[in-house]
Amino acid sequence: MRQDLGRDPTAGLSEELGRMAQEPLLPIEKQLIVGSLLLGAVLLAILLWASYTFF
Amino acid sequence: MRDWLKTEDWWAVWVGLIVVILSLGVLVGFDLLGWGAVTSEWLDLGKALKPSSPENYRLLSGWASLASTYLFLLILLSIGASVMGLWAGRFALGFTVVFWISYLCLLIGHNAYIAATPNRREQFGISWSVGLTGEAGFVLALLVGLVVGNLLPQLAGQLQEGARSEWFIKTAIVIYGATLGVKAADTPALTQAILFRGFAAIVEAYLIYWALVYFVARRYFGFSREWAAPLASGISICGVSAAIATGAAIRARPVVPVMVSSLVVIFAVIELLLLPFVAQLFLYLEPLVAAAWMGLAVKTDGAAFASGAITEALVLARAQQEQGIEYLTGPMALTTTTVKLFIDIFIGVWAFLLALIWVYRIDRRPGERVQAVAMWHRFPKFVLGYALTFTGLFSLALLLPSLLPALKLGREQADTFRTLFFAMTFFAIGLAANFRRLWAEGIGRLALVYVVCLFGFIIWIGLAISWLFFHGVRPPIVGG
Repeated sequence: MRQDLGRDPTAGLSEELGRMAQEPLLPIEKQLIVGSLLLGAVLLAILLWASYTFF
Repeated sequence: MRDWLKTEDWWAVWVGLIVVILSLGVLVGFDLLGWGAVTSEWLDLGKALKPSSPENYRLLSGWASLASTYLFLLILLSIGASVMGLWAGRFALGFTVVFWISYLCLLIGHNAYIAATPNRREQFGISWSVGLTGEAGFVLALLVGLVVGNLLPQLAGQLQEGARSEWFIKTAIVIYGATLGVKAADTPALTQAILFRGFAAIVEAYLIYWALVYFVARRYFGFSREWAAPLASGISICGVSAAIATGAAIRARPVVPVMVSSLVVIFAVIELLLLPFVAQLFLYLEPLVAAAWMGLAVKTDGAAFASGAITEALVLARAQQEQGIEYLTGPMALTTTTVKLFIDIFIGVWAFLLALIWVYRIDRRPGERVQAVAMWHRFPKFVLGYALTFTGLFSLALLLPSLLPALKLGREQADTFRTLFFAMTFFAIGLAANFRRLWAEGIGRLALVYVVCLFGFIIWIGLAISWLFFHGVRPPIVGG
């Protein structure tokens, strides 16, 4: 498990990023984003209430 | 080889536990670790160093105790490096240079003109000082690491085997668990409040930050899913390990998490140099808000815990200077540590959820199954070490208060080693932060997303949520 010290992972990155295909947001991705934000806001509100009520 | 012998994560647990167990010798009348070198603020270099238990090691000079500390760590860590399959000779050589440069920085940082807070100037007979506290040594180690890493790349490459920032900081955190556990026993109600508020960090990192960064990267910068998901995890959660876990979960090519990790380290250094001083300027009236902010805003374990240590020193010094209030040390460090560790704990769960979504809904790979055991594989094991030392010593101090004086002595002995691991972490982080990569062809677009997200909303949401959850909660006052 010796470390590879010499390789530079940035090599060819420009080409790599340039090749990146345009991918439209899928419905499941939109659900993941919106669902996460909504759940996060609700949980933060509950935690805030609990922390000031019980602690 | 068994998993618990082959990773830095597990070896951080073993090394940390060895130090903590040795420090507990004082409970049964054996001072097994009192020879460790402790560094004090100094004007006379001869008084800078002493063993952490000078009464039990009267014949040991300060420099001899430092040499003993170096040899102890060299042997212990070389055994670990060797078992992990690292090149032991090269590790020992690299570690030796890292140790002595880091220690030299720590020593210089403790000079009274740099470190002494205004209330201590009279004690040293000096009329001025920068007042950065001894933690200035950490910043100096970081700067020296940056200079070596960026201006002397050949030397940096030779030291790389022994400059294991992740191993050092995880070991330090396992030891910190013992230190904070004993301190937390002085304020059990505050400890409960801090631990509960730590849950907010999990929600914020995984549900708010991740979703926003992923959306910005996909919608406004046109990144593919393969790049956007590891990038979102790297910026939002825990830097390097989160980017790697996410990359593996969604089957991204190895170059993706590697590039994201490089950026995470670079920006973590910028945050580490900037945010503690911003916190000192604007948040000295709310120490725990400042501490939580470091855990939420600064990425990578090393930089987050390190910034927490500096912020505690800077904010408490400013509070004393401006308000004449001397707060107890400990609760701030506990806050930063809790916030960061709570975030870390869920990396495996999050990677598992992403794997489920990618396999069954996005990439749709028929016949492929996601195994729950992956959550355990990705669980950061050093957190177990921290939980063990924290809860063990916290419980011991609460249940058997008669042991408290011995526990405090043991805590100070172990903390000597924690400080050294912190200093080496700072140097190693600087060494690994290759700023030339920012100018490397093609990385600008990645860096731009990072800048927009980090400075556009992550830092500010982190500050807002830290304020909501921690404002008005203050550390106890010394003697109050």
